[in-house]
Amino acid sequence: MTAHDGEALEQVRHHAQRLLANIPSQPSALRVRDGDVALDLEWQTDGNGARPIESPAPGTSDPPPDSGTTAYLTAPTVGVFYRAPEPGATPFVAENDVVSVGQQVGIVEVMKLMVPVEAEAAGRIVKVLKDDGEQVEYGDQLFALEGADAE
Amino acid sequence: MRGETALRKVLIANRGEIAMRVARACRELGIATVAVYSTEDRDSAVVSYADEAVHIGPAPAKRSYLNIPAIAEAALRTGVDAVHPGYGFLSEDPDFAEVCRDNGIGYIGPAPEVIARLGDKTAARQLMAEVGLPMLPGSVEPLQSVHEARNLADEIGYPVIIKAAAGGGGRGMCIVGESADFADAYTRTRSQAQLLFGDPRVFVERYLTSARHVEVQVLADGMGRAIHLGERDCSVQRRQQKLLEESPAPLLPPELTDRMGAAAVRGAVAAGYLGAGTFEFLLGPDHEFYFMEVNCRIQVEHPVTEMVTSVDLVQEQLRIAAGQPMTLRQEDIVRRGAAIECRINAEDPDRDFAPAPGVLEEFWPPAGPFVRIDTHAFPGYRIPTSYDSLLAKLLVWAPTRPEALRRMDRALAEFRVSGPGVRTTIGFLREVISDPRFAAAEHDTSIVERLIQQRQVKEDSNVAAT
Repeated sequence: MTAHDGEALEQVRHHAQRLLANIPSQPSALRVRDGDVALDLEWQTDGNGARPIESPAPGTSDPPPDSGTTAYLTAPTVGVFYRAPEPGATPFVAENDVVSVGQQVGIVEVMKLMVPVEAEAAGRIVKVLKDDGEQVEYGDQLFALEGADAE
Repeated sequence: MRGETALRKVLIANRGEIAMRVARACRELGIATVAVYSTEDRDSAVVSYADEAVHIGPAPAKRSYLNIPAIAEAALRTGVDAVHPGYGFLSEDPDFAEVCRDNGIGYIGPAPEVIARLGDKTAARQLMAEVGLPMLPGSVEPLQSVHEARNLADEIGYPVIIKAAAGGGGRGMCIVGESADFADAYTRTRSQAQLLFGDPRVFVERYLTSARHVEVQVLADGMGRAIHLGERDCSVQRRQQKLLEESPAPLLPPELTDRMGAAAVRGAVAAGYLGAGTFEFLLGPDHEFYFMEVNCRIQVEHPVTEMVTSVDLVQEQLRIAAGQPMTLRQEDIVRRGAAIECRINAEDPDRDFAPAPGVLEEFWPPAGPFVRIDTHAFPGYRIPTSYDSLLAKLLVWAPTRPEALRRMDRALAEFRVSGPGVRTTIGFLREVISDPRFAAAEHDTSIVERLIQQRQVKEDSNVAAT
């Protein structure tokens, strides 16, 4: 029994390592359960969470002149962008919503891996820049935020 | 890939000069190209050269060029027939080859099982010993205990080298001069191997104090057909990093290089190899040669072989990956003249070859007859700090080695690279070229350390004189 359990644990550990190697941000907590084999990963919302707010990618226009505080939430990986946790569900966020740092605002699916998109800054969403199901590349702007200096 | 007659579109899972090299081969064959790039490479040459480009991640390689899901996603999205891994990064990662296969993406290289087997140094040694490739005296199986290991080392005779089974690139190895030091070195190498490769297994073999590094290029179609394209001498190394390569290996009797080539072909067939690969050998002063390892990828120094054989190795890789029968036969491979490659790195030889990147204010490569430059650099290019320091490969060809050396010296002298903070290995390479022992081909793998010491002595006496 112990040998079997040890094997399961080893497998979970292996999966965890592979997951970690392929996800963009390192988790702040990792829990491995043995009975029924579970694996929890947790992400911190600041520091090296989802994408830092980037200056606009080349080819995109400059931020509107009236908003020194416009910031962008960007894609953490290449993949397919989803605005809701599942098809037909309410989107994580919509225009005019106020988001806080670390709040999940979307998902990018890369090779069946669901990578959460978390807000790197607080503010009000003034524009949703990508549609649900749209293909994105790393660093693509997903949402425009205003009042990002609120923190 | 098998059964198709041609590739229509290829994704290049790499950066730098090799990404440009692969893109050019594709263009000549009428194959569309997809580049993938990190944020730091967004203005790179291949991004504008390729037909499409996908931004796969931020600067750290772990999240971009080593990010298997992101690259596989890019390959599926752009609908490529195959992925070319280049060298370094994912080029010898069996997991990547397997992910490609599982998702119906062709992989330009051998099967994942072959990469895994040849990547494990003890498994590779076993296989190659079985088909009669000469081995240095040593252990075929990974060692089980320090006692067993030391007994074996005592039997082999010192010096010996302890190597990690999962090792590569000159890391995870330790030379032991006498029996008394063995136990410590054994324990240290094991823990280092665990740390570097997550695998503590090590093996022991005799260490040759004066040896040349000679490797054989092979092409194999995975269906039992394999040929070799002669050897390259890569003895000019610093800490296992090659600085200069040449073909043919100077002063070796053709009978010897033929035997080395035949051994490599035998090994490639036994391994079920597919594509372009390299068999590395150590060559002792007595002209005995010993199998070291197989590199399951196109190598940095492949153009040296191209210059003397007139075979475009990357195009051959693409043809083989498309399942086309290999039309080249061994008797078609006729080598002419001598070719030399110098690796121009953005490193400072005066500061222990520390990386010296920056913006290239001036980048003026040499030209003229029989000179080839493989580079991704251009005037105004900012050398990224996240990747290796290779800036350009400079190659020359000439009918004989002495003429090739003169041509290389001429070309190195023409090469102008400058920018704030930028240093290169150009000057140091000229010292190698003009070293009398190198010119006489009497050098071995210790040549670079010797030249560095000479430099320091010169510097010290200059200081003393002032």
